[in-house]
Amino acid sequence: MEPNGILIFAQLDEKYNVTSVTEELLSKARKLKEKIWNQRIMTCVIGPRMNYEEIINNLSLYGCDEVVIVNDDRLKEYNKTYYSEIFVRIAKKYPPRIILIGATKEGKEIAAYTSTKLETGLTADCTDLDIGENNLLLSTRPTFGGKLTANILCKTFPQMATVQQNVFKAEKIYDGNINVIFEWENLDTIENKIEIINKSKNNFSFNDITKSEIIVAGGNGACKENGFALIYELAQKLNASIAGSRIAFEKGYITKSQQVGQTGKIVAPKVYIAIGISGADQHLTGIKNSGKIIAVNKDKNAPIFKYADVGIVGDLFTILPELINRFNIDKEEQNEQ
Amino acid sequence: MLFSVFINNFHDYVIRGYNLNIAVLIKQVPDTDDVVWTQNNNIDRTNMESIMNPVDKQAIEAALRIKELNNANVVTLTMGPKKALDILKESIAMGVDDAFLLCDSKFAGSDTLATSKILTKAIETLFPDVRLIICGQSASDGETGQTGPCCGARLNVPCLDNVNEILEITDEYIIVSSQYERVQTVYKVLLPALICINNFIFPPRIPKIAGYIKSQKYDYKVYNMYDINILEDDAGLKGSPTYVSSVYRCEDTRNGKIIVYNQDNLNEIYDEIKKVVYGT
Repeated sequence: MEPNGILIFAQLDEKYNVTSVTEELLSKARKLKEKIWNQRIMTCVIGPRMNYEEIINNLSLYGCDEVVIVNDDRLKEYNKTYYSEIFVRIAKKYPPRIILIGATKEGKEIAAYTSTKLETGLTADCTDLDIGENNLLLSTRPTFGGKLTANILCKTFPQMATVQQNVFKAEKIYDGNINVIFEWENLDTIENKIEIINKSKNNFSFNDITKSEIIVAGGNGACKENGFALIYELAQKLNASIAGSRIAFEKGYITKSQQVGQTGKIVAPKVYIAIGISGADQHLTGIKNSGKIIAVNKDKNAPIFKYADVGIVGDLFTILPELINRFNIDKEEQNEQ
Repeated sequence: MLFSVFINNFHDYVIRGYNLNIAVLIKQVPDTDDVVWTQNNNIDRTNMESIMNPVDKQAIEAALRIKELNNANVVTLTMGPKKALDILKESIAMGVDDAFLLCDSKFAGSDTLATSKILTKAIETLFPDVRLIICGQSASDGETGQTGPCCGARLNVPCLDNVNEILEITDEYIIVSSQYERVQTVYKVLLPALICINNFIFPPRIPKIAGYIKSQKYDYKVYNMYDINILEDDAGLKGSPTYVSSVYRCEDTRNGKIIVYNQDNLNEIYDEIKKVVYGT
């Protein structure tokens, strides 16, 4: 069968609602579809036996032409072995030209497995997608430690890409007309060698940086001495959330959920303050939707200054204490009044 | 009497050791932490150092922790140019038993698919009795985090990522803890299996002098494509479905205001920040 269409893995959240990354991918797929002739947008939903009406409506609202549903009560919770193998079987049954998957933990697991089983190319964590020469999928992603950006093409079908949440914008359409197919897959033929013994969620609270209005973020330059202590103090004065670059995460100053950039979170605060961040492409991708960007860095050639609304060239270990001091004085004056 | 003790120990060692062959896949990466930018915003590559991918050291540490309790045999494996011997030396110095370099000019330019094919073939050819394969979660240069899981899929073994703790290992299974964002999950996986290490609870060990000396004298094994049964069409650019069509610097610019700090202009900086943050 000639490969046709764009197949999207429709991820569901704990309450079986379609996740926003799926809606975003559907919206992008619709734009890609306009550029390649006669292609359909298909999604694959995997889950337990239940009422899928709301899910189908939602997918249709974002431009999905056809949905394949595989349901079994053993698929109530995400199971890597079952989900990956089922998705491969669907992709073999309805061979698409393009496969798009949200770059969540689950999505990445399924993508790696699928690309291997289908012997095809996979571009991970794309920051943009387009149609290039010969109607091929043109995937954009940072390269060279995120310092540069590359356009990547794939010469095998299906052409696969994963994309983080918030990279694309979800846009509803209202003339949805969707074809629903229920498929049955025999799970007994899939050998599951992974058993979950225990699952726990730690509930210590920190701000969700994708929803923060002000973010103070630290990079390599702040990863020494009391750099992050100063960042915490400044963030407190501004009522801001704390985040950091990939290097800050690798060096243990922040958690993974506070990492901003292509492989961390894509953020869109009103104000983003980058402290000691040089501005690698993989980081810039994560902050380009910010309202205003303030940067402090001692290297005047640091790329971050090109993307900043206000750039301050200087040593953060001198500037931050003085700024914090000024905020304190201001506050005291306000209190006196 | 003495003899039987020896036999028992030997027997024990063979059984345990034989069943716990561990291969650690490592990678040499450019040290992108210390990038020097030139004036026109390009990377100054002239003095760029190559290092072992940081999280791969954690993968070696995890393997060595298992070895300490189980008499396992730990080998490291990397694909790269001759220069990649440096990271194999480092791994021998840390305490692994053997180190292999997959080096062939035909390997250059391999993408995830081709790389995982080469690594998988090497594992199948060189260590057919491997029980556990350990990788770092992702490389700091490409950062796709796909090569490890793709090798797992190709070897048809179960694969777990974000493993930060190893709780138990026997001949049949391994129990590990994996952390992703706020969720901590404990898995039991049948061997052979592949695990990707991230944020391992023990920091990587620093080589001792004896290890360092051993690493300098060690006879490293180098294999080319024929040694590991790789066909020319499977490797390098030929075997890679994806290819880079162009590379560029991210070009949006905001043309903002740049202030160079000196002791006297703190007021200006402070006001500017307040204006941006509070709009006044």
